Amino acid sequence: MNVSELYNYKKHFASRIVGEELILVPVKSNVADMDKIFTLNGVGNFIWEKIDGKNSEEDIIHEVANEFDVGTETATMDVKEFLNRLYDIVTKI
Amino acid sequence: MERIFLSIAGFTICLIADEDSKIALDDGYFPFVIPGQSNDPDIIIRTKKGIPKELLNKKHLIFEAKNELRKYFSIYQHMESYKFIIYDQQVENKIQQIAILDREYTNWVIYTNPNEEDNNLYPLQYPLGPIVFYYFTVKLDAIMIHASGVFDGLKGRVFSGFSGTGKSTMAELWQKSGSLIINDDRLIIRKRNAGFEIHNTPMFYPDMPKMAPLHSINLIYHSKGNCIKKLSGTEAISRIMTCCIQHDYDKRIIEHQLSFISSITEQIPVYEVGFFPNEKIVDFITDYAG
Repeated sequence: MNVSELYNYKKHFASRIVGEELILVPVKSNVADMDKIFTLNGVGNFIWEKIDGKNSEEDIIHEVANEFDVGTETATMDVKEFLNRLYDIVTKI
Repeated sequence: MERIFLSIAGFTICLIADEDSKIALDDGYFPFVIPGQSNDPDIIIRTKKGIPKELLNKKHLIFEAKNELRKYFSIYQHMESYKFIIYDQQVENKIQQIAILDREYTNWVIYTNPNEEDNNLYPLQYPLGPIVFYYFTVKLDAIMIHASGVFDGLKGRVFSGFSGTGKSTMAELWQKSGSLIINDDRLIIRKRNAGFEIHNTPMFYPDMPKMAPLHSINLIYHSKGNCIKKLSGTEAISRIMTCCIQHDYDKRIIEHQLSFISSITEQIPVYEVGFFPNEKIVDFITDYAG
């Protein structure tokens, strides 16, 4: 799944920023899985905001590297790991 | 035109019946009836005799509450409003009532067949009654939570967790130590002035309306020994939210709940409490949390 496809899933979540973390609650059509609430930390929160339908994965990697003052290799690993985790979350809702 | 006024968790509800009908309430509601009238009720419920066939269609389903054993209710988009189809809990797939709620969560129209024994209309019979209470909290600054609540004369404490975690047991232990049980199953927490309050709601048995100032929220689980840990931030918010009644088909509802729970955690301490079910847990909690 690419970043553009993940963007389409964003509208199925309500969110709230708490300090440096982000809570995500999926919009649901039944009472099952009411305990499925997700929390993203600082980097995850930042990446979530950058998934806007315009940024590519490479754009996001570049932004993470700048924002958190890390090398491209580290930023790439963090972004890919986060996007994989996000993919698991959105496809199971 | 008959009108009955109720006060539940500080919200005023006006029940209105058609001219040729009489409203009846289950025993648990009588302590919440208030005399006189209110010119500005928070919620208005109009009760109509009979269920119109044109409302039986099941188009535009947005939410369902059911498990392997039974259906409780379904919610549909109904023009600019919400339509609730409520199922009889004794007879499978039998429609008990249909209710229409406006988008401001203020005005209900409840269609119900007369009771076979007394020919009266029971608009708030289970499960619609608790559904109506839940939508008070959607409209206003409040949440409804699966929890027990106790009051020691100064402080109200909430004990919450999934089914079987000991909410009723904990409430009984505090009662033995002299506290009042606000309720052992379901509470409304609402904002009032500078703080928060816990309230009981009508149950299937009669109980007086009770409330207490909220001092702490305790998320409990069974343990071989007593232990307590303070929670904060996203962990506190998400753990409380999983204990709340949620109709998460609308982002507005979820965001409202997140915002309110967030405001609670900014003022009220939240603890995770493992407990062994004897009276020692009462002193353990008060020693640690005050």
